[in-house]
Order: sequence, then C-alpha cells, then structure tokens
Amino acid sequence: MSVNLDISEGEGRVQESLEITLRPIELSDVDDFMVWAADDKVTRFCLWDTYTSKEQALNYIKNCAIPHPWLRVICIENRAIGAITVTPGSGFDRCRGELGYVLSYNYWGKGIVTRAVQMVASTIFKEWPYLERLQAIVATDNNGSQRVLEKAGFQLEGLLRKYRVIKGKTKDEVMFSLLSTDNFLV
Amino acid sequence: MDPSRITLRKFRPTDADDLFSWAGDDQVTRYLRWKTLESKQEALTFIEEVCMPHPWRRSICIDDCSVGFISVFSGSGEDRCRADIGYAVAVEFWGQGIASKAVEMAIPQVFQDFPELVRLQAYVDVENKASHRVLEKAGFSKEGLLRKYFYLKGRIKDLVVYSILSKDESI
Repeated sequence: MSVNLDISEGEGRVQESLEITLRPIELSDVDDFMVWAADDKVTRFCLWDTYTSKEQALNYIKNCAIPHPWLRVICIENRAIGAITVTPGSGFDRCRGELGYVLSYNYWGKGIVTRAVQMVASTIFKEWPYLERLQAIVATDNNGSQRVLEKAGFQLEGLLRKYRVIKGKTKDEVMFSLLSTDNFLV
Repeated sequence: MDPSRITLRKFRPTDADDLFSWAGDDQVTRYLRWKTLESKQEALTFIEEVCMPHPWRRSICIDDCSVGFISVFSGSGEDRCRADIGYAVAVEFWGQGIASKAVEMAIPQVFQDFPELVRLQAYVDVENKASHRVLEKAGFSKEGLLRKYFYLKGRIKDLVVYSILSKDESI
C-alpha cells in the first residue's frame, strides 16, 4: 500500500536537535502509528481513509506494512512520527518506483520529510539497481508536499488533470520525478 | 478520404487476413506492446483470444475492412476516473488523418461506455511525432514529459502524456 504525500506550509529546515532515522516498522509502533493515521488533518491528501481502531492499525502493520517491498518509519529517538515508502513497478515498469510519505501533524514544517526523502534517494538506487526513476504524484493543492520534492531535487514534469479520485473527488495532480542519473542533494 | 468510409466496430474472426497485413508489420507495431504477428493463424488466435474478449477494443475500418485498432483500458479504485487509449493504423493509411478521425469518433463512445470516466489519457513515445499529432488533432492536451517511464521492447522510454477530459469533450 502506498501512503500518500502530506505536509503543511512552512519553511522546513531540520532543527539541530532533530536527528531523524529510518527503520522498518514493528507491531509495537502501533500507538505511534495511530497518532498520524487517525488524524484527519494528516490523511486529508492520502488515498487511504483515517484509521478508526487499533485493531485496524495492527492489521495494516502486520499484513501490509511489514511485508511491503520498501517501507520505513521516520523516527526521532527511535519513536515513529511518520512513514516513507517506495513501491516498485513490476515487469516493464520495474524501472519505476512510486514515493509516498506521511508525517504526524505536530512535526510538520521542520524539514523532516525533506530530509527523509533525501535519505531515501541516496540509497534506493543502489539497493535496487534496476530502478531508474523515482516518481511522486501530489495533489495541486498540497503545497507543502510539492515543496518537499522541489527541495529534494525532484523535477516537475507536468500537471495531470483529474488524475485520481481522492476522498471522493477527482483531483488535479502534479508529477515529479528523480532519476538515478539526476544530481540531487545527499 | 471521405470520412464516412471510416468506421469503428468490434473485431470479427473474418478480420484475420486484414489484421495480419498490418499487425504483421514491424513499422506498425514498433511503439506497441504487441508482438508483430507472424501468420494468419496467429492473427485469428489473437482476434479470438485477445481482441474479442477485450473490455474495449475496436477495429478501425475503411469500407468495413480492418486497417487498425483502438483500445481503451480503464482503471479501478482511485484510478477509476482514468483510462488509457492506444491505437495503430496500417502504414499505407498513414498521413491521411485516419487515426485522428478514428480517435475523434471513439472519444464520445468511450465516455459513454465508461460512466465513471473523467480523464482519457495516452502515453506516447517522445520520438513518435506522428502520434503526437493524432492526439492534438483529436483535441487532447499535452501535459508533460515523463522521463524513463517504462521499458518497451527492451528499451527504456521517455513518454509524453496527453489527456482529454469529459468536460473538454462536451464543449
């Protein structure tokens, strides 16, 4: 499952005290998971609906998140405050991966997701040698998320009109990509 | 060409010879995922096993003889507002506006047949300029260049994405 892109307005530069790490998700992360996944402000731009129970969250973590080809929780002092995913294509689409991310509302505007995206970009092309393109699709009204990708060195390729249905509405979305051959900040 | 000679209809087994003549041509299949057909028997099998059961595939006909195809693939879930269109025409009918006319004819049928469809899109190889013109003439808008988007016949491709919306169409 891909988590969608979600971050607010705001300049974002990681404060010195906030060192983030990425690690695989565990069932014990469930309470921290609920902090973002049960928050409408966070899920507003996500393809998935707000979580309403711990059981639903445990089910997702066990059956989707843990087996996911590439999912990491974004941590501060090893506590999960969000997640970042790369979902690979298969067959002829193997050269392409789809980036998604989500972050607890209280941590928005500090440059955390930008840093996490940079960390992913610096490793994913080496982990998956057949990956040539990392792409992200963001709703046009999700300005914060667009800024994350611009700062992380992604290129805006086009505006895709009425591309997907999100929360019952067809949305205009912007396509961004980063190629293994692009220069990007590490 | 008199446009009333151009029609769209479902494929029939009796199209096998005509299908083989254009789908057996590497120039026609160059930008398609289709493998170039190698015999009339293969053409017949392809019609019966792929073209006829397809959710939306039409033969482009001139005087009711197949000279090409149009296919539409629709999405599901969050992608249900969207469908992809693909097409090809025999080489002897290139440069006469036939593919454009066929795509123009298909558009209202497609929006009618897929009630949840809002966006009809096409991915075209950046090198395939003739196909860009087909879509532009049929009223599609160019939205962007997608770099290294997928592999086709062993080569990674830059693609241009075009779209037409149900609201564009109804003007």
